[in-house]
Amino acid sequence: MSENKNTAPARDLTVKQGFKLSKFLVSWEMVLVYILLLINLVLMATRTNLYFSGGTVQSIIQSGMDVCPLVLGMILILMLGDIDVSVAATMIFASMATGLCCQAGMPAIVGVLAGLVAGGLCGAFNGFFVAYVGMPAVIVTIATSMLFRGIVKIVLDVNVLKVFPSFYVTIAWSNIAGIPLALILFLVMSAGFIFLLQKSKFGRQLYIIGNNATCAQYSGIDVKKTKLIVFILMGVMCGVASIFFVGRMGGSVSSTMGTGYEMTAIAICVLGGVSTNGGKGKVYGSVIATLIMAFLTYTLGLLEVDANSRKIVTGFILIIAVLIPNVNRQLIANLKLKFIYKGNKNVEALNIKTAEEVKALRAAIAELQKDSTVSDADKSAKIKKNEEKIVSLQKKCKEQTAAWLEEQREDERKAKERFAAK
Amino acid sequence: MENAKNKSFVGKLTESRNFGLVLGLIVLLLVAAVITPSMYSLNSIISMLQNNAVYGLLAIGEMMVIITAGIDISIGATLSLVGVVCCRLMAENPGVPGVVWVLLALVLGALCGAFNGLIVGYFKMVPMIATLGTMYIFRGFSFLFSGGQWWFPHQFTEGYQAFATLRIFGVVPSILVILVVVFILAALFLGYTSRGRRIYAIGTNKESAQIAGIKEEKVTFLAMTLCGMLAGLSGMLYTANYATCSYGIGEGYEMTAIAICILGGVSITGGKGKVDGVIIGFLMMAVITYFISLLPGLSVWSDAIQGAIIIAAVALNKFTERSAEKRALKERSALI
Repeated sequence: MSENKNTAPARDLTVKQGFKLSKFLVSWEMVLVYILLLINLVLMATRTNLYFSGGTVQSIIQSGMDVCPLVLGMILILMLGDIDVSVAATMIFASMATGLCCQAGMPAIVGVLAGLVAGGLCGAFNGFFVAYVGMPAVIVTIATSMLFRGIVKIVLDVNVLKVFPSFYVTIAWSNIAGIPLALILFLVMSAGFIFLLQKSKFGRQLYIIGNNATCAQYSGIDVKKTKLIVFILMGVMCGVASIFFVGRMGGSVSSTMGTGYEMTAIAICVLGGVSTNGGKGKVYGSVIATLIMAFLTYTLGLLEVDANSRKIVTGFILIIAVLIPNVNRQLIANLKLKFIYKGNKNVEALNIKTAEEVKALRAAIAELQKDSTVSDADKSAKIKKNEEKIVSLQKKCKEQTAAWLEEQREDERKAKERFAAK
Repeated sequence: MENAKNKSFVGKLTESRNFGLVLGLIVLLLVAAVITPSMYSLNSIISMLQNNAVYGLLAIGEMMVIITAGIDISIGATLSLVGVVCCRLMAENPGVPGVVWVLLALVLGALCGAFNGLIVGYFKMVPMIATLGTMYIFRGFSFLFSGGQWWFPHQFTEGYQAFATLRIFGVVPSILVILVVVFILAALFLGYTSRGRRIYAIGTNKESAQIAGIKEEKVTFLAMTLCGMLAGLSGMLYTANYATCSYGIGEGYEMTAIAICILGGVSITGGKGKVDGVIIGFLMMAVITYFISLLPGLSVWSDAIQGAIIIAAVALNKFTERSAEKRALKERSALI
């Protein structure tokens, strides 16, 4: 995923280097595929009969699909370096709009449009405050999640809306040729988002804004407008999610449903390799992560792990998924500098240089041994010479390191004395 | 600078943010006096403060984290975990004096906070995501440790409950005394110790603070540990106050704590915020929630109203900041 590990701690700035199979196989997206396969194998091994009986895999996939439109929208939001925790509330708000329209006897298409528009309006509300007023996205969306859900509570009180277009349930629960309809729709939508992010001007602008908003502003991108559009898009995706969600719930909605969906959506995005700092991530990683989450939840459920312990697993996955990209060569070098070289950069540089020279000499020795043109006596003499060089280099390095560290300790002691004297 | 010195006391007073807050609070109290006069009795005021005291403790901890330009949304889960652990152990060992549970709560909370501080400070995770993860983890452990069980008043020992409900001088509940002590300690710590000032330095400008020799990791770690410690303390006090406990307590409390901080003028981008502002924000939130709960048929409105208040407060913050910047610019250009 990131080739330039030596210099870039956060993002990958290297020019595309063409396709390499070895790199592709260890990229984050492929790791996700391996995890998915592993979970499947565990499930297969422990519950063989269930796994191969008809419909199990389909129902697992269906169980994870109600959150998928939220994930797609969230990728764009995270790409900007923002966050939206009001998505679950917006989703319920949109469901309520649809439900009220359908209850009033309007045709299904009006209800669906009402849901999408309601979602879009909620998104525009968020986007206005984030982009044009300049408030932090976390705070705005925390507040609006209370606000939107509060409005639903005021309107619905304890009632349950039960009239919804019939195709909602069909989308969530039916299969076409053995493939869940929801999955097909999800893949179609993700294809659209991949096109949007990778091939369109708008998508490339998002990457630029996520990497450096000021820079984007100066290169002629209307950052505020783009942010507003992304938040509106997120709102519309919440409207789409309401279709999946209401269908999943069997066509009913109340004000307390769907809590915690925002966290699941964010967790999936992060697991899929979307950076929360903005400007990094791909759609298909999150698509695989959505499937992983569905299989994981189901598998843990089958292994009789209760819902609350599953929360622990989700939390750890979230943290580990974010931590893994941080554990790269840069971090290891930093730790080495801190603990082995005691923070002394001269020592670090000397050690690295010596290690490189020793490596070169060793390579020379190996080449000499392979070389058949030189006579044996000559060869052994040269090898001996090189080995002596290595030993002397290492000895020099050790002595110098010790001297420098001693110097540093002396300096520190003196500094402490001066400080104490004051 | 000279201009600022020449300003009269009244001018300074009306410019400070707290003045607006206090004014808002007074208006709110006047409205409440007209609509719900029953709010004005010593008993109802004390019970209002007593039931909201936990939010005050959480808000102080949250404030320290927000000043470092971070955020901690796991404090509600920490409160639940510590509350459950304390209650369960207390119910199983009724002979142990209450002070042990306070210490246990402080230590456990500090451990939870230290875990947050470790992954945020030393592993450089985004605070929002890190604490989102630990929220799940703490909440899950809270359930595991409780086993889905509830604890009821008859299981609570008197020594345990005394930390929240004992009336000192027959009037003030001890939880309020603890709250006031924490307020004072936090004000002293943030205002007058070098460690406290470092928290502000990191929040204002990370790079220059680091160049000045402040270790960012350590300061973040400290702030998050303190935040967790206060969350742990509030977990114990919450259960002691209500004498009931289950793993579901403290759901959404982090949002209220953040709301109080923002009402009190703590800047979410870090570096700004004072304890006195948070105290006023806390009083305001307490009055609002109590006021709404007294109005008949308005209880379903509480969420929406709280959300609207937060948005209004932050928007107001932004506008006052902008106007202050403009004024400073004018003053500077006048000097030239």
